[in-house]
Amino acid sequence: MNLERALYYKENMERLMRTERLFLNNPVLITGLGLAPIVVAATSLNNALILGLAVLLLLTPTRLLAAFLSRYSYMRFRGVVYTLSAALLYIPVYLIERAVFGVGLSMVGLYLPLLVVEPIIIKRYERPQLEPMGMALRKGIATTGGFLLALFLVATLREFLGAGSLFGHMLVKAAPFPLAGSTAGGFILVGLMAAFWRWLRNLFKKYVNMEAKREI
Amino acid sequence: MIVLKSVLTFFVYAVVAIAAQNAVFSRALGVSRVVKMVDDGIVSLGKFTVMLAAVQLLSAPMAYFSGRLIQDLTWRGAVRPLIYVLCTSIAYFVILLALALLAQKTQIKDIKDYVALLPSATFNCCVLGALLLTTTSGYTLLETMGFALGSAVGYALAILVVNEGQRKIRNRNVPSTFRGLPITLIYIGIVALAIYGFTGHMPAI
Repeated sequence: MNLERALYYKENMERLMRTERLFLNNPVLITGLGLAPIVVAATSLNNALILGLAVLLLLTPTRLLAAFLSRYSYMRFRGVVYTLSAALLYIPVYLIERAVFGVGLSMVGLYLPLLVVEPIIIKRYERPQLEPMGMALRKGIATTGGFLLALFLVATLREFLGAGSLFGHMLVKAAPFPLAGSTAGGFILVGLMAAFWRWLRNLFKKYVNMEAKREI
Repeated sequence: MIVLKSVLTFFVYAVVAIAAQNAVFSRALGVSRVVKMVDDGIVSLGKFTVMLAAVQLLSAPMAYFSGRLIQDLTWRGAVRPLIYVLCTSIAYFVILLALALLAQKTQIKDIKDYVALLPSATFNCCVLGALLLTTTSGYTLLETMGFALGSAVGYALAILVVNEGQRKIRNRNVPSTFRGLPITLIYIGIVALAIYGFTGHMPAI
């Protein structure tokens, strides 16, 4: 890492720890948002594709629409604005998903419609400040990216460990850890991944500090 | 005899929702909120449970009847969340109105706490999840009401169990990277495994 980059990270680490949604403040593995679909339904990469496309199409537009409508509502009713925005936008999202995946949608069960009240999509309503449209767009895209990264990592690991396959293609004869396919296994695996993620984050912070000191 | 049978059905479905099909441990419904509530320190679990149960019991019959109205539509899957969110929003406004009237007519000081907890008790995966489950499983009105009440009580029980576990886990022996979210999820996973061992099956998603 060169000096400029190391110093940039060192000086902005506190801010990045709050705002960078892909790695340093991943919405799932650091903040704990969007856990329900990941723990229960993300048991295979095919399921991850269904959930991933839905979140991709739902999260940012919901945030934008709700940020716009919130200007005309009381703070107390903002929860209603956010959930109704998500539920309205869910209609075209569902139709697209149905056209792409057909009956395969049943594999994720109620975790697809549940996205309309999932905290990763509507949690912003709890904050009293109105969200500017530009910020809603930026944060929406960043949160979507962080969620998709965690979703596909968890789904890959769970499908391989729980069924010994990837995208339905068998890779090993016996599943290495069949419990990974269950809800209990999902909790344990996501918990272990969250710990590993934190360890990596701490390692990165130490590395940045070391590089900055060495270069100086 | 009919009354006794109805009461029994109601309580059987309530108990099923509390234990074997606990919203948090068996389906991870609202688990993000549970983790956050436990992390922040539970302010008043009793008040939250009252609000959650009120929202569940008010929105369950509305969702039941509206679910029956749309059951023949080919695109019911697309509009179901919107209709159920409308039902919970109506329940939200009814409870808010009731609290406002209570605040005017009585001297209860805690009304503000109830009002503050109402949004998190309404716009919650546990509420919508229970409504979706009862309609897609074809429950009767009585079964729906029993399941809705049981879901709310089961959710509060899960918060209590996770909070108690968190209190005992919070010591120096836990490595720093595991503290907070990771150890809480592993703990919930172990409790979920115990429930799975007790019931012997995974509920359908």
